[in-house]
Amino acid sequence: MAKPLEGRSYVVTGAGRGMGREVALLTAALGGSVVVNDPGVNVDGSGHDTGPAAEVVKEITAAGGKAVVNTDTVATEAGGENMIKQAVDAFGRLDGVIHVAGILRDRMIFNLSESEWDDVVAVHLTGYFNVAKPASVIMRQNRYGRVIAFSSGSGLAGNAGQSNYGAAKAGIAGGIRCLARDLGRYGVTSNGISPAAATRMTASIPDSARELRARAGIAQAPVREASIVQQLMAPHYVAPMVCYLLSDQAWNINGKVFYVSGGSVSLAWDETPDRTIAKGGMWTVDELRGLVPSQLLAGLQNPAPPPADLDLPGRPVAKKSA
Amino acid sequence: MGALDGKVAVVTGSGRGIGRGIAMLFAKEGAKVVVNDPGVNVDGSGGDAGPAQQVVNEIKAAGGQAVVNTDSVAEFAGGENMVKQAVDQWGRIDILVNVAGILRDRMIFNMAKEEWDAVIATHLKGHYNTIKPASVLMRQQRYGRIINFSSTSGTLGNTGQFNYGAAKSAIAGMTRVVAKDLGRYGVTCNAIAPGAATRMTQTVPDSARQLRSSAGITGAADTTAPARQSAFGGLREPEFVAPMVAYLASDDAWNINGWVFNVSGGSVSVAHHPTAMRTIFKPGLWTLDELDDAVGAVLMKDINNPAPPREDVEVPGRDIPARPLA
Repeated sequence: MAKPLEGRSYVVTGAGRGMGREVALLTAALGGSVVVNDPGVNVDGSGHDTGPAAEVVKEITAAGGKAVVNTDTVATEAGGENMIKQAVDAFGRLDGVIHVAGILRDRMIFNLSESEWDDVVAVHLTGYFNVAKPASVIMRQNRYGRVIAFSSGSGLAGNAGQSNYGAAKAGIAGGIRCLARDLGRYGVTSNGISPAAATRMTASIPDSARELRARAGIAQAPVREASIVQQLMAPHYVAPMVCYLLSDQAWNINGKVFYVSGGSVSLAWDETPDRTIAKGGMWTVDELRGLVPSQLLAGLQNPAPPPADLDLPGRPVAKKSA
Repeated sequence: MGALDGKVAVVTGSGRGIGRGIAMLFAKEGAKVVVNDPGVNVDGSGGDAGPAQQVVNEIKAAGGQAVVNTDSVAEFAGGENMVKQAVDQWGRIDILVNVAGILRDRMIFNMAKEEWDAVIATHLKGHYNTIKPASVLMRQQRYGRIINFSSTSGTLGNTGQFNYGAAKSAIAGMTRVVAKDLGRYGVTCNAIAPGAATRMTQTVPDSARQLRSSAGITGAADTTAPARQSAFGGLREPEFVAPMVAYLASDDAWNINGWVFNVSGGSVSVAHHPTAMRTIFKPGLWTLDELDDAVGAVLMKDINNPAPPREDVEVPGRDIPARPLA
């Protein structure tokens, strides 16, 4: 029986290390030809090294698969176009793009500099546009294609110190949903992965930061805790769901975001209205003051509540004991 | 006594539409308002100090306090300027409302890089450009309200708006992060995904809506508009968005943080966080065949494709029968 991705051609961004590498390896093992894109930068986007991408290509070819190196950056329009073009030049076609590439510049919003904002948005979010645009032109003509982008719980649930990264990753989720609607009728699907895995990138968050957040009572994107799942945090566990979405079987799965970590795969809620209050006219602020806390938000928590000793206008004064 | 007596607010994009309704209500509730609007066209071109000036005139005529600002939120200096103007004028900033936005709708396969960049710059970078300087001051004063504008075009998805949808969804994500960065300092950050008839929504031609629905493509409006919206069909005026924004800006809302609210007419909803809805689990590495079983039977059961491939498109896989659950 033919391999599920036999004869197809894919571009994987950020495929030199971590999850991207695993996606490239499994895609090739399942018969797909792969443009292994990775400029080999550091986690913060600095530097350049053709080594990681070349290493992955070497592994794939040694195992009998087909792959070529690309070290362009996704952060530029030309870089995105180049890697799509390279797939067509090297393999004669383009069937899918998997956008994994990303960098981190964590900082609390009140300390976040403009360049830290710009650089992160450029790689993750504009990087998504830079590959999705040229790919969509070809896929629409082919009446076939897969676009998969990596989102993150950091944006979907929110994570302190990552307004740039969280915004970019949530923006990718929005892009996934729009792309699905632009291209679905042409036989193309667009989906997203919100992964959790132990990689070079997650190792950059110091344990002290996690402890600080926990002490301050700031909720963070869930770290799944069962020990069995901890063992399953290796990045290669993310690859099967990606490759399933690439396969022909997944032809009708479109516009969705999946949390993938270890052996766990979840479908994320669309951000649909959850609870509603309605009135046949214009609300007054007074009416909302009564209904919003008691009805609309009943039981829902503030993810980062102000400390008890902070003098806060509006807060009932009874709670001085703590 | 007003709900916002003595507060100082910056409202971006408040020369027209939803922003204007917010600035007017804020002033009526006792707030002093920096009315920001460069008066551009829907696509971001042009510039006209008239709309912001007009709103300030109206506020003053009604006995309120307001000043004009015509900076662009797309510039880092512009964001800093309007926050600075609030401080120069009235000594502080309590409330920041980010409404400013433009549209450059285009199907992804026709979208120019410039159309992507312009929309991201105004909406998304525009939020950073105002929130950054405001957050520094709000953290110091241990008080503040940030209210952002997202959209169902991003949180749910819409045709022809890859740039706008990505920016608006990013704003929802940024809202959740900023809520966590600033909550402990007595600052809240929430977002509104509004529905209203404004200059901006008029740019979507009815023919486009008809085309979408005849192709079976789910648009944001179709999914969000509850039946009550048609029942209260006349309530799409942009002013209807303002009361919820004013409430979130008031002291009473001190503990409401990190949420996205859908507001349209007399309807106010809190949106689902995009948390896990259904899960399949295996204590090991999945194979594609196993995923095919479990995804079809459990994870995606009864979940529809929002834009299914046309009947005449030959889709590999369409003829594969669904695998029965073993």
